[in-house]
Formats: sequence, structure tokens, C-alpha cells
Amino acid sequence: MLHQNLEWFFPHTTEEAVKLISQQGVILHGGGTRILKTSPKSIKGLVDVGKLNMNYIHHSGNKISIGSASTYDEVIRFSARTKKLSMLVKALSEAASTPLRNRITIGGSLKDFPIWSSLYAPLLALNAQIEIADKHDKIISLEEYLETGIIKTKHLIKRIILEDDPQVIGGVKRFVLIRFEYPLFTVAVALRTKQNIISDARIFITGVKGRYKHCKRAEHFLIGKELNDENIQQAKKHFAPKFVSDYKYSAEYKEHAAKVFFTDLLQELKGTVK
Amino acid sequence: MKLPFKINNKQKHLELLPNETLLQALRNNHFTEVKCGCNEGECGACTVLLDGKPVNSCQVLAMSVQEKEITTVKGIGTLYTPHLLQKSFAEAGADQCGFCSPGMVLASYSLLKENPQPTREEILVALDGNLCRCTGYVKIIDAVEMTAQKLHSNKLVME
Repeated sequence: MLHQNLEWFFPHTTEEAVKLISQQGVILHGGGTRILKTSPKSIKGLVDVGKLNMNYIHHSGNKISIGSASTYDEVIRFSARTKKLSMLVKALSEAASTPLRNRITIGGSLKDFPIWSSLYAPLLALNAQIEIADKHDKIISLEEYLETGIIKTKHLIKRIILEDDPQVIGGVKRFVLIRFEYPLFTVAVALRTKQNIISDARIFITGVKGRYKHCKRAEHFLIGKELNDENIQQAKKHFAPKFVSDYKYSAEYKEHAAKVFFTDLLQELKGTVK
Repeated sequence: MKLPFKINNKQKHLELLPNETLLQALRNNHFTEVKCGCNEGECGACTVLLDGKPVNSCQVLAMSVQEKEITTVKGIGTLYTPHLLQKSFAEAGADQCGFCSPGMVLASYSLLKENPQPTREEILVALDGNLCRCTGYVKIIDAVEMTAQKLHSNKLVME
């Protein structure tokens, strides 16, 4: 349970917010769903992001910027209007339930990265960049954000930046037994193709040992090849995520399931190759 | 502390603690039509509308929504002046124990306001955060469809 003497802050600038979260026990509050799930007593203050003007989705040129205070529902609505971000939206619209999607913010999900997150795999596959503010503002790739451990530092995520590239096709699959339960893993594939040949590939899976895996071997195999049945079966051999056994599923079972999901995804994409 | 909130189109002052959820703050201040079910954001019994969108009030910290418009089920209709949707719930037999009904009604209300002629699939998605342990959902979905039909045949706008 959260402390009853909790202090609230409502800053109007990101600089102010960054300064506030540098204090011990003070964290950011977006939708609040994750804070209420964990409710640590160590939280002394909450910095609400509601007045920081980070609730927007802009499409300009070939870039789409999503303000970090945007909710899952707002991203889904943007996609319905513009027919953009379909891969990301597939994952978001299957995550949680309607009332929770109206509260969960993109920034909150990125900062916390729960093991069941459906957000990370598609964003990593789409090579998303994020703008963060700590001592200085900077734009880095989401992969770098994870690899360098910046995710563990105190900072504020201002926005996500995605490229709107019509040459990129992609898909995402989540392992769930019922639609809105927490997925066991999420696999995402983004392919850039030219005349039926894959010129670039980004393949990520989350929910694995170490939280996420960039499946570079499978990517290297696919680049320069046509997406046909034979290559899909071969690519499966290069896709080998490692899992941890739990009370429900063994690591081997999860690995087998992930391979099935991966090949199904490639089969689905086969029909859309440009 | 006592803070102002806009609830059901009226300015109300709620006595609350800074760590309280919207559900706690509402119920402690006599808005007991908002039900406490799982308290984990799973069942939807505590659904309220925040600026017209359904949320689990147990998953919202009250302090963060002072400037938003909060609607409870009494904000759309009362026992003596029920909303068209509430009447349809009664007509379709969509209420049994009634514990999920405030949440179901509000989630349906939000859907119909935005999409007055939803498909059955759209109704299912809109109600995916609301659990019912009595009805098996069929009559609830029927009630939403019945309301959509009434809106259409009487050329009404969802208010």
C-alpha cells in the first residue's frame, strides 16, 4: 500500500519534473496502474506528468512521434484514423482490457518494462527511438536504452519516434491462453523488402531469459533471401530464444511454442511481401 | 484533506488521503454506486467514466484526476429517471445480482455514445474489462443491442 503521507507534484515543465524525481523516493506518475500494482511504501512522492504536454501523437513527414503520456487507447485510435502503426496497435489492442487501456501510458510501460509487456517487442522490431530527459535531453534507440542500462536510471521519457516506412512489413504474436491475459512471450518481426527479397530484418522476442532477445542469427539468415516456405523453415533453426521454466511451462515447451509462433508470423508476412 | 472534483456534472468536495484510489475516495464520500470487486483492475465492478472513457477506478489515484470529469452510473440515470440503456438492461433481464451492472452500464454507455450502432464483436471488446458471474453475458450484450436498435428506430441520439 502506498504511504498515506504521499506527496504529489504537478510540474509544468520537464526540467522541473526531472529535478523532482532526482529526490529519493520520488517517481513519475502517468496512468498509475503499475504503481498501484506494486504500491511500494518506499514511494514518498509522485510527480504527475499530466501537465507536461506529453499527450499527443504527431505524424510529420516519415516520422511519427508519440508523447509518452499517451495511453494505449489513444495510440489505437490514432491508428484507426490514419491506418498507421498497425503492428504496434495489434499488440496494444490485445493488451489488458478496455478500461485499463484507457489508463496505461506508453511512457509508464517503457520505464517499467514488465516481463509480460506487449509493447517492447514491436517497438524494438520497428527500431523505435526515444527522447529522454535527465541532465540533458537526448534521442537514443530503444535498444540502446535497454542495452546500456539507461532504463534503470532516473529519467523522464518524453516521446517515442517511429519511422513510417511503407517498405516495411511486420507482425507481432503474443502467447496467451485468453486474449487479455499477460502474455508468456511476444515475438515481433519487421522486414524491409524489395522485389520480393528481404533487404533488412529486425526480429525481437520478449518474455525470455534476460527479458528480451534480439534474434540476430535469424535476421542474418533472412537478409538477401526470398520469404518462401523453405527459407521460413530454415529461419526457424536460427531462431533459438532461451526461456526459464516456471510452474506452468517448461523452458523447452516455451522455446518450441516460440518457434511455432515465429514461423506462423513469417508465413503470414509471406502473403504481404512487396 | 478536502478537494474539489467534478462528479456527474456537479462540483463536489471529496475528503480523501493522497494515497487513495478514486474508488476509495468515491465510496468514502457516499458514491456507493461505484462497486468494489477485485480491487486489482480485473473485474470492472468499479468502472467510472473519466472524460467519457471507462476506467477501473481502483486503478486510478484520486489525486491525479481532479481536473477530469467523473461520471458514475447515477450520472447517466437514476432509479426514477432511468436512462434508455438502463431500461434496456431491465427489459433484457441483464441484471441478476446487479453487482457488475453499474460497470456494465457505464462501459456500454461509453461505447454507444461513440458508436451508436456497434457490431456484436465491438460490444464484446468494449465490455472486455467487465466480468459478470451471473448472466453469462448474453443478456447484457442483448441489452446493448436493444438500446442500439431503439436509438436507430426512434432516430435518437445517445445522451
